[in-house]
Amino acid sequence: MRTQSLVQKSALTVIAGVVTLLALFPLLWVVIAGFKGQAEVLATPFRFFPKEWLVANYTDILGDAAFLKSMGVTFGGALLFAALSLIVNSMAAYVFARLEFRFKSIMWVYVIMTMFIPGMAIMLTSFIVVDKLGMLDTLAVLVLPGVASAGHMFFIRQFYLNIPMALEEAALIDGAGRIKIFTSVFVPMSFPVFVIVGIGSYLGYWNSFIWPTMTITNPNLYQIMQYLYNFRAERVTELGLLMAGSALAAIPTIVLFLIFQKYIISGIKISGLK
Amino acid sequence: MKTNFRYDNKAAYALLTPIVVLLTIFVVIPFFYAIKVSFYNWSFYQESTFVGFRNFYMVVTDRLFGEAVWVGLKFALMVVPAMLILSFLFANVVKNLGAKYSGFVKTSIYIPTIISGIIASVIFVFIYDYMGGLANYVIGWFGSEPKAWLADVATALPSIAAPAIWLGFGFTALIMLAGLHDIPESYYEAADLEGAGAFKKMWYITIPLMRNVILYLLVTGFIAQISQFELSLVMTNGGPLSETTTPNLYILNHFRNDVMVGNSIAASLLLFVVLGSISALIFRVLNSEKAVDG
Amino acid sequence: MKENWGKSKPWSIMLSALIIMALAVTGCGGNNDKGSSASPSASVSPSESSTPSESGEPAESESNAPAEKVKLEFWAQKFEESTDAWFKKWTDEFNKTHENIEIKLTIVPGDAWAQKMKAAQAAGKAPDIKTISYGNIANGAKMGEILPLNDLIDATAFDDLYDNVKEFVTVGDKYYAYPKLVEPSAVLFYRKDMFKEAGLDPEKPPTTWAEVLEYGKKLTKKGVFGFSIAQNAADLGWSSWGLQYNAAGHLAITDDWSKADINNDGYKSVFNFYQQAYQSGIMPKQQLAGYTDIKPFGEGKLAMQVIGSWAIGQLRNSYKNILDNVGIAPMASIDGDQTKPTATLGGWTLAVDGKSEHAQEAASYISYLLAGDPNIMIDFFKGSQFSKFSARKSVDEAMKVDVDASKDTWRALVAEKVIPYAKAEPIYPWDISFALSTGIESAMRGTSVDKAIAKAEKDINDFITKSKLAGTNPKS
Repeated sequence: MRTQSLVQKSALTVIAGVVTLLALFPLLWVVIAGFKGQAEVLATPFRFFPKEWLVANYTDILGDAAFLKSMGVTFGGALLFAALSLIVNSMAAYVFARLEFRFKSIMWVYVIMTMFIPGMAIMLTSFIVVDKLGMLDTLAVLVLPGVASAGHMFFIRQFYLNIPMALEEAALIDGAGRIKIFTSVFVPMSFPVFVIVGIGSYLGYWNSFIWPTMTITNPNLYQIMQYLYNFRAERVTELGLLMAGSALAAIPTIVLFLIFQKYIISGIKISGLK
Repeated sequence: MKTNFRYDNKAAYALLTPIVVLLTIFVVIPFFYAIKVSFYNWSFYQESTFVGFRNFYMVVTDRLFGEAVWVGLKFALMVVPAMLILSFLFANVVKNLGAKYSGFVKTSIYIPTIISGIIASVIFVFIYDYMGGLANYVIGWFGSEPKAWLADVATALPSIAAPAIWLGFGFTALIMLAGLHDIPESYYEAADLEGAGAFKKMWYITIPLMRNVILYLLVTGFIAQISQFELSLVMTNGGPLSETTTPNLYILNHFRNDVMVGNSIAASLLLFVVLGSISALIFRVLNSEKAVDG
Repeated sequence: MKENWGKSKPWSIMLSALIIMALAVTGCGGNNDKGSSASPSASVSPSESSTPSESGEPAESESNAPAEKVKLEFWAQKFEESTDAWFKKWTDEFNKTHENIEIKLTIVPGDAWAQKMKAAQAAGKAPDIKTISYGNIANGAKMGEILPLNDLIDATAFDDLYDNVKEFVTVGDKYYAYPKLVEPSAVLFYRKDMFKEAGLDPEKPPTTWAEVLEYGKKLTKKGVFGFSIAQNAADLGWSSWGLQYNAAGHLAITDDWSKADINNDGYKSVFNFYQQAYQSGIMPKQQLAGYTDIKPFGEGKLAMQVIGSWAIGQLRNSYKNILDNVGIAPMASIDGDQTKPTATLGGWTLAVDGKSEHAQEAASYISYLLAGDPNIMIDFFKGSQFSKFSARKSVDEAMKVDVDASKDTWRALVAEKVIPYAKAEPIYPWDISFALSTGIESAMRGTSVDKAIAKAEKDINDFITKSKLAGTNPKS
């Protein structure tokens, strides 16, 4: 709407291009490093392209059934995790953004407090809890403990705070209940925010390593990071394999991003509703 | 106005139940359990003995713990403001791009997050390599001698802050962008009519309306950065002279090396106190107009 | 609203149910502490069950349950690919040949080992068998984490161990683990071609610290540093033990753990050596790779590097083209006496968990794998490219007739010139090693040696007082 001069426009394009390149650099680096032998991946001075292109790293990993299996299991788990996380946290976000109820501030403090608890403090005791609940070596132990997240709830709430009251007042006058308003007014408007939170949850699940290693010994449930960390030994990391594995492991996520690309942030479309 | 005073207890509790139950089981109960064991010499094979505040005393009187908290704060202060400002500016850039191009940019800036922290650290170790690293190559153009980026007390922490900014940048920028898109275009149009310049518009419209988003990013960014340990673990092992030993690296080292886990649990509970109080401060300062539970 | 009410009722019931359940869990947690008061009795029971075997019939416990297969968990820390493969191969072999026992092997990455193990121990789910390093045995034994093996493994198996290594697994008068390998923490790798270029005799590596510094100077040129050794506190903490023994004849605290013992000439020399090496410019200002990584040497950026014997494997795998130009020697000694220790022996053992219900079967696996047929161990050392060393005399004997092993001169050198004089890793808390190595690092960065030692001494003494360490040495 506002007019931009050609200079302005091309300056913006260049800046955006440089930043994008910086962001893409590691992925390129990882993909290409996957074609290098062990000595060369680590070699300095740094050479971007390998002297000799080796495909062995990639073919080794693709030929390993365990790799594809853990990709599939982790992908499914991550999607389930992201979906549950959206449901649980957006419900709470709506309540804290809009409703008045008894003990509201106590509840708020109770929930938000959990955001500051360092994982290290509760690692052993959480393990004891999930063990007592009989959850070890199940999908539940990977998914459930992290679903409720004060941080994600907080994020969604900050956006709900910006939604004009007028929208729901109309619905209230029509006699809709609060839960109905949430599902029919807020949820449809939240899609762009859900995409951000969903991606955040998805990546959190995808990248987690310590918790799966602690709780999962069944090879059928091995997570992708458990698989990749196998290349990281005590003294010398098998960097070529680690890079190739990471590059391959990034594929489903990138595909996912491409699918949701057009929804990745347009903001809550308040303007569209007016 | 009326709606503000109507209580919706049933609906509220119904919608809150899942989050409260899950947090209670998987976070709060383990948390109180951890508080309990922090008063014990928690042994897994012998009888645990009650030791009162001894574990806490050990941590509080450990000079290295105090230093680690200080390192964590310095680190967060380097990373969080820089990340917020850069991503705010960048979000403004992306907002003004054509739709196709911005789609590509938005998808790409996530990429560092997909590649795990360990790999990011490995890449940056290369950049800071003493002989043949990119950083020394670049300063070589200006005739400068190679620097010991990661081994010099003065440059080690900033050198680790750089990849932290780089890792968190994409996500932060996207959240900023979402916030920007939420601001109705009509506000700017009105300002244009008043003849307001770009800076004025940013100061009087954009930033105030982004307060919710900035509050969120400040609190979560602060927590995330002060908890960072992967970067220093891989890149410097906490050195030189503990200059990059963040609180969580301190805790992890104790967890791995101590015979008993009491110290590390006590230390992480103290970290909770630090995180909680600083975040409360941020809430108070930024959320002062609106009650926290508003 | 009524409708909502109806909807929320099941929720609130579920909520209270879950809270009750959750409280029950903490309740159990509370009981768990009480339960662990019962655990001494649990850790008594295996030794009780072993009392009959003390009276002479170890076969009894085996004959008790021939019908049901005993399933045991074994967690091994992740090392090189070849080590993992060796564990898998011989565990399969064991399972095939022992129909009453099934070992389930889990390889745990080092990044998560402490977390996984401590969580499992806290929940009472620790594996029956685990890898444990020498440095952790004494404390593990003291805490009841691992069982004495005297009654579980045949005495002759322990007689086969070298005397200095036997000591590593002994606490009081009992053996608590069986060694798999030893690795000296510090060996000198040097480039013969660079020695020649600098006018040095490639067959005469430095034997005194003064020579190291002198040679280092001669070898340093554009693009090549003459010398490299650990240079940050975390690496120095453990890699300097050998040199501390070398110059001072002891480690940083007195044997009764009552106070620091570093304000002496020996320790001053150690600090001085590191300080001079760093400040004279023969070392890079920023380490080119971690202490355990021989990459910079392999790439020709270093003429001498001090690193553990494990680097042999990495050199042979990744830097084949320079192997002919590589010399290996014991790390130099302060005064040239190469029979003084210059390294500590790190390494791994297997031990039986203190709460294992099948200690006898677990021990029989350890005994099969580590103390049995020498060929099983030789298979391991071959896989490691002879970068790790045997703790058993019979294995070394057998290797003398093995074609690959006998012609490996590097192996022979480390086995004959370094290991016999090397000492055990200390078992006092890491905080002490770290306080000392922080002192060394600050001396390297310019603090005067006297000041650095005074500060380290104070830190160590403070730690001893605070943690009431005096008199708690499990080995004295």
